[in-house]
Amino acid sequence: MKTLQPLKQPRPVAVETGESGEPVAVVLGGRRLAVAQVQDVWRIDDEWWREEVSRLYYHLLLEDGQVVTVYRDLLKDEWWRQSY
Amino acid sequence: MRTACILISHFPVAVERQRDSSLCRRPVVIGETPDQRKAVLDCSPEAEAQGTRPGRPLRQALALCRDAIFLPPHPLLYRDVFESVLDVLETFSPEVEEDALGRAYLNADGLALHYKDELDMGERIIRSLEAATGLVAGVGIAEGKFVAWTAAITSEPGQVCTVPAGKETEFLYPLDVSLLPCKSDTLRRLELYGLRTMGDLAALPLGPVQAQFGNEGKRLWELAHGIDGEPLRPRRREEVIVEGVRFPAAAVSVEALVVACRRLLVRLHWRLRGRAARRMRLRALLWGGRSWEKTVTFHDAVVDWERMLFIAKSVLANTTLPAPVEELTIELSGITEERGQQATLFAEKAGLKRQLGETVRQLRTRWGRPFVSRVVEVEPWSRLPERRHALIDYEP
Repeated sequence: MKTLQPLKQPRPVAVETGESGEPVAVVLGGRRLAVAQVQDVWRIDDEWWREEVSRLYYHLLLEDGQVVTVYRDLLKDEWWRQSY
Repeated sequence: MRTACILISHFPVAVERQRDSSLCRRPVVIGETPDQRKAVLDCSPEAEAQGTRPGRPLRQALALCRDAIFLPPHPLLYRDVFESVLDVLETFSPEVEEDALGRAYLNADGLALHYKDELDMGERIIRSLEAATGLVAGVGIAEGKFVAWTAAITSEPGQVCTVPAGKETEFLYPLDVSLLPCKSDTLRRLELYGLRTMGDLAALPLGPVQAQFGNEGKRLWELAHGIDGEPLRPRRREEVIVEGVRFPAAAVSVEALVVACRRLLVRLHWRLRGRAARRMRLRALLWGGRSWEKTVTFHDAVVDWERMLFIAKSVLANTTLPAPVEELTIELSGITEERGQQATLFAEKAGLKRQLGETVRQLRTRWGRPFVSRVVEVEPWSRLPERRHALIDYEP
């Protein structure tokens, strides 16, 4: 039997947020990295016909130069990291 | 063009009778034993008179002529004897066409000047063939291959029939339409129209014949008029490299034959001296005097003996030889200097895919689980990244 393994699965990530709810720091590999710049923000509300999805994505430039994409699950209030 | 047709009817039977005179005047059927589901390769006129025909099942032949002698075929022997026939004919003319076993044409343009006349030339051909092979041929000499053939087939063995230029229609018109090279269905229809002789067909205008029988009708109409534009295709002398081995005890296993092939191909490779071959013929002399042969034409000229061995192996693995092998011979022909090969993008890709498949199978056998996956599109239009693509086990 062939098994399907979805690619680009989201992984949980620890994110510190500011007063406005925007991420100010991300913890990667046990290191706290401050957000240098929020490069992009977009929202996805989808799949209401099966398991509803509501996510707010952030494309972040971190202080060490890394660029990561994280999203906040608006239904569960959880943070996830995902390759987009 | 003046053409001579040399015809030895029922060539395999003639060769067998040459070997064993007790077969003369007795019905002979060649094509293994009647219990095998095979077809008649050839039969003598005596067997034909009882209803047997080449190509029909052997069981039917047995039912039709119970007193016939059934013989296994010896294709190598027939081939060798026919080569001798062609060699004799080449002493008369450099342009000799090998049409079928027992039938050959030669370019007779201007040859009669060396003899008293064409009749004398034909008789000399018959005598030379009989002296060299012991076989008696019929000879027809006419303009073009078809008229020469009809002249040969309508004459008795040992006789010469010449059709002077311009007298073709006179010769052909009384002959039966069944001599025309046509499909059995066309022949049946010709007879239904009451066209029994070539003269009947030739008397019709070309248009209606073509309308009824298409292109084939046009060709038959032209042949009935003695118009035959088919050129003579002389056989080409080509270099053939042969190596053979005789087994101390008749070989029964494919493995033994493969070992022999390997040895022969290594020797042949050395004799090729860096050249490539386009054809390989495997010939085996079997126990009991029987023979077997198989010719393989390569897609590309092959220089590598290991590749030839691979092909020989697959031929032997897919063949059931009817008897143990006493002697094995490999012939390489179509020898060429060209070694370059046009690489194709897809062949390369196919090769890589095969290699990958083999590696994946090895890994799976070794570790019990798949190690290689393939990316497949699931919902490529989705805005959610994890919905777009997935990994699936790679199945070679």
